[in-house]
Amino acid sequence: MDHLDEMTCLLYAERQLDRARAQAVSAHTQDCAACRTLLRALDRESRLLTRAMLEADEPLPARLAEFQERARKTHHWISGLIFGLAATGVYALYTQLETWQARLSDAGFGGTSLLSLLIFQGAFWKGWQSVITLLEVLAMLTVAGFGLVIFRRRLRRGSALALVFAGLFAALVSPPPAGATEFRKAQTAEVRQDEIIKGDIYLSGERVRVEGTVEGDVYVAGKDIDIDGHVTGDVIAACQSMRVRGRVDGNVRSAGNNGIISGSVGRSVTWFGDSVTVDSTGKVGQTVSMFGGNLAIDGQVGRDILFFGHEVGVNGAVLGSIWEKGDSLIIASTAQVGGRIQFKGDQQANVSPGAKLASPVEFTQREHRSEYTTGHYYMWRIIWTAAFILLGLVLFLLLPKFASEAVSAGERVAAPIGLGVLVFFGVPIAAILACITVVGFPLGLLTLGLWFFAINCAELVVGNVVGNWIFGRTADTWGQIGRMAAGFVIVRIVYTPIAPLHVIGVLVALGIWWWGIGAIALALYRRLQPKVSSSSMGVPVAAAS
Amino acid sequence: MSVPGMTETTEAVARARAGDADAWGELYRDFAPAIFRFCRRALPTREDAEDATMEIFMKLRDKLSQYDETRSFSAWLYRVAANHCWDILRRRKIRQDKETEDVENVPLEHPDPSQLDKLIEQKTSEEVRQALHKLGARARMALVLRYYSDMSYDEIADALGVRRAFVGVVLLRARHELRQALEGKSALAAGGTS
Repeated sequence: MDHLDEMTCLLYAERQLDRARAQAVSAHTQDCAACRTLLRALDRESRLLTRAMLEADEPLPARLAEFQERARKTHHWISGLIFGLAATGVYALYTQLETWQARLSDAGFGGTSLLSLLIFQGAFWKGWQSVITLLEVLAMLTVAGFGLVIFRRRLRRGSALALVFAGLFAALVSPPPAGATEFRKAQTAEVRQDEIIKGDIYLSGERVRVEGTVEGDVYVAGKDIDIDGHVTGDVIAACQSMRVRGRVDGNVRSAGNNGIISGSVGRSVTWFGDSVTVDSTGKVGQTVSMFGGNLAIDGQVGRDILFFGHEVGVNGAVLGSIWEKGDSLIIASTAQVGGRIQFKGDQQANVSPGAKLASPVEFTQREHRSEYTTGHYYMWRIIWTAAFILLGLVLFLLLPKFASEAVSAGERVAAPIGLGVLVFFGVPIAAILACITVVGFPLGLLTLGLWFFAINCAELVVGNVVGNWIFGRTADTWGQIGRMAAGFVIVRIVYTPIAPLHVIGVLVALGIWWWGIGAIALALYRRLQPKVSSSSMGVPVAAAS
Repeated sequence: MSVPGMTETTEAVARARAGDADAWGELYRDFAPAIFRFCRRALPTREDAEDATMEIFMKLRDKLSQYDETRSFSAWLYRVAANHCWDILRRRKIRQDKETEDVENVPLEHPDPSQLDKLIEQKTSEEVRQALHKLGARARMALVLRYYSDMSYDEIADALGVRRAFVGVVLLRARHELRQALEGKSALAAGGTS
């Protein structure tokens, strides 16, 4: 008698044969003891396998038992931190704004606009160079983060740890920068006439004098500052008053009440404060940019003047153009302007007949009416709302899966906002840094473009999340589009009356951008993860016991 | 561990999807031991299984929104776990093509029914578990998917990336490897150690 082959017996035991074949096998085993034994052995083997695998021979490792609790705690901690910081920030702005304004005013910063207030705080903090350094660090962190996301699957735990330790070791043993940095703090901090400082120097005190030579940058904070010596780099200052009688080869950037430039500045002057005077002996090689009260040019400016504030008076020579948005512009008979003069103010510029101008003053009457009170503004809001909804519609139809993933990521709120902050600031900086290198230029430009596009899509994502909250989720594309449109309109309606509230308006706008761009980034991050099939076949499962 | 009730699981999944951390904790507590055991059977080392279990649940957190609530949650979860483990094994340069070729070309010896019956009767669960770790990755994974996760042939074919008609051959070959390992002979393909 022919026997059944083992494969047929296995398929029969596992109920994988069709009816006719199964009946034939069944009939055969009625008469064939050997095949009956084989079938029984295969069946017992199956049961032995199942039993062996289901038996809990090893308890759940402590690491796994704690994992969920740790993950939960970590999640709560991060959420709590983000919301805590946000709440504290909003509360502080609400309650402390006037107090801070008064304090800054007492300290000699007479800025009255929010912009100057924020900028003064920034300048007081560490100086612009430090701000730039911080931004660079943020950018590097972002780049490193993306790198890790992309390559982490290729890194085993051991090699990742090795990288970390190697990095730490390299950081510890790497030599300090070539130029030494000096710090001086005293009632009167100074660089004496006969001194030569090689490298950057930080000076702070009630009075600060630089009479010697600094071959680097000068970072200075004080009440009265005199630069009588020679600085080959930049002067970054936060002060009440500053006089530059000596020579600065680089830029002068300052937040302070009064500035007088009697000496020479090789490059540009950027000033946030009440008044700046370029004396008759003073000379600025490039541009003067000022945000604040009054600017008087009695000496010479090599290029242009950019001014936002109260009044500009020109008695000397401006070899480039003048662009002013302020209250008044006075051009004396001794003045000489080599470029265009554009003035947006309340009254015509006062120009003396003897002034030598390359072209007449182009005057634009300033309108004080808030744009928020005009019908024009709201009409354009409606038009833009429709345009954005159209953009959302197109994106949903082109990328339905990714759009759903971004919206789904946005529903977690805290995580996308946290990530959004990083992406919002980090990506453009990283892109700009990439642009600096010739090789990275196309990549930097592309990244910048994508970032800008994502910013524009952010409100759509937030709108869709809000729509889902109100109307519930749906898997249908057109249902999702409907929720996106409705949610977007709701967000716009809620935001429109908030927008004119200056600080609050800006914060809410930033919040929406961070939330949306963070959700998009999170969805992108998940796309970079290895794919896991998640379809369900609905089979009975007995193994989880 | 007991299988969580279907209603309770569905509720917990719905709450977890809505962002309820406690519900997520419930799901983890209910399913983590089974998923760890699955990974322990499928992957060569205990450390791999621990890592994989954590990674699976981290993925699950993100993928929960894709789960179809009309289907069995545990079946879906095992699918995710199976794919994850198989991805890990594949990334470790498991020579899938060579194994497939082996399976297709090497003829399988017909067993003596009474000797097979005797072998099965003599072996303990512990011996089977030890023998499983001597198998090739594909053979071990196939047995785990079928006899631990109770997956259908279609699902196994999908998870392992083979034709449906080929699943029976993979399983039969895996059994032969297992028997050889149980008899103390070296398995045809080494799959790592625990």
